[in-house]
Amino acid sequence: MIAWLRHHGFALADAFRHLLRAPGNFLLNVLVVAIALTLPFAGLTLLENVKPVAGQLAVQPEISVFLSVDTPRERANAIAADIRRIAQEDRTTISLDFIPREKALDALKNRTGLQDAIGTLGANPLPDAYVLKLSGMQTREDARRINALAKKLESVPGIDTVQIDSAWMERLAALLRIAQLILLFLGCTLGVVVVAVVFNTIRLQVMTQREEIEVSRLVGATDRFICRPFYYTGALLGLIAGAVALIAVALLLHPLNTAIADFARLYASEFRLLPLDWASAAALLVASALLGLFGALLSVRRHLARSA
Amino acid sequence: MIELRQLSKQYPPNIRALSDITLSVGKGELVFLAGASGAGKSTLLKMIAAIERPTSGAVLVNGQDIGRIKPSGLPYLRRNLGLIFQQQNLLQDRNVLCNVMLPLIVCGATRPDAERRARAALDKVGLLDRAASAPQSLSGGEQQRAAIARAIVNRPQIILADEPTANLDRDSANKVLDALKAFHGVGVTCLISTHDEQFLDAADRVIYLERGRFVESWRRQAPEGAAS
Repeated sequence: MIAWLRHHGFALADAFRHLLRAPGNFLLNVLVVAIALTLPFAGLTLLENVKPVAGQLAVQPEISVFLSVDTPRERANAIAADIRRIAQEDRTTISLDFIPREKALDALKNRTGLQDAIGTLGANPLPDAYVLKLSGMQTREDARRINALAKKLESVPGIDTVQIDSAWMERLAALLRIAQLILLFLGCTLGVVVVAVVFNTIRLQVMTQREEIEVSRLVGATDRFICRPFYYTGALLGLIAGAVALIAVALLLHPLNTAIADFARLYASEFRLLPLDWASAAALLVASALLGLFGALLSVRRHLARSA
Repeated sequence: MIELRQLSKQYPPNIRALSDITLSVGKGELVFLAGASGAGKSTLLKMIAAIERPTSGAVLVNGQDIGRIKPSGLPYLRRNLGLIFQQQNLLQDRNVLCNVMLPLIVCGATRPDAERRARAALDKVGLLDRAASAPQSLSGGEQQRAAIARAIVNRPQIILADEPTANLDRDSANKVLDALKAFHGVGVTCLISTHDEQFLDAADRVIYLERGRFVESWRRQAPEGAAS
């Protein structure tokens, strides 16, 4: 075990020795790999930021039922029974919340900070409303049922407008799924680029160290002993490039957040992009190192076999 | 210790480097392989070191047929051999000490132990004061002695030296030869190829090759006839 560790220590030191011998070449390769990694890392950061927002909003499909402004409160209360009956006929489990127009106005005042402007309106322009939360609605078939239910509700006397609140969330979720797929494809493609760059770097290194490899073989070095420094070089290249890419993405967030803050303010939101958490960043670094290691593995197997 | 049985080597398309060589080298012998350039001396040494594979025949080292050793087992065979070549094969980006330490590092020695033993080997070839020097700053003879130090640092049972005195002046060549003789003196088997007849007097036995064929062999005091 100690000898094994000693061999690995020697291999790591040897890898560093060769990197320091031509630091310019190594840094250029790091730059190329880092550029290839920056795009998927940035995409992942964006997705990780958007996901919780979408998650918070899309808890349950909701239907907002707005009554006519002139509907008396007695009728408004009675409409609850109509809504429950229609839902029961439709075999849909709902929870129903009544939002009186006064409460809606208060909420509007608190949320938008337009107290003064709303105060000038005189009469309350908002209608009474019901919010239906539908449980167990997740499939495309369920989406059709929600639409059918909304249509039936529209025909109830006293109801003015029926709005399916979760529709845009479904679209957002679908968009996120597409974005995830695109990111996966992008990640795979650029992963291949990383492997190719490391493959070529190690190929050149094997060629420049051919004499050293030959001498090592003559003095009894095993193939594993000869290969290990190249594996470390590939893994280091991936690791350092991964770190550079993460730093680049983190730096990129600063100007992006300035622009997002202006946009988010329009919607009274404090949304801003955050860098990846430590666990995700560590996972990406490990993945980068593994990509580098894989490139080195392929290259060494191919080129050392030829030189043997 | 070393046994060659009807050993032949043919390179494509139809170049016969060695033809039907049968000979043996006993433990502790100092044997010179003599012959003109192209006689097959280097090819013979490369096959004993398993750098080249024979076209036919067998090479036995310590009774083990090296043709039957898997490629993954060859490094362990080579750790018992000290190889010295005409081109000293010293790594130019490492100093002399690091070059000599390499076989020990390969075998898993600790750095302090490797350094201590490498210094001892350099001392034996009279190069301890050049341990920190770059190989290119050494003369040809010194580089060859550094290569000898590297070859013996692992205390091999056999030393195979291919033209170790080629391209050296007389004084340097003598120092190299003295170093090899010193190791032979402590029981190491040495097989040395040379085309320089003046060194042959030092040998226990001389084997002559010509165009890949065994010609004759003689011992220091009692020359013998063809014994292949």
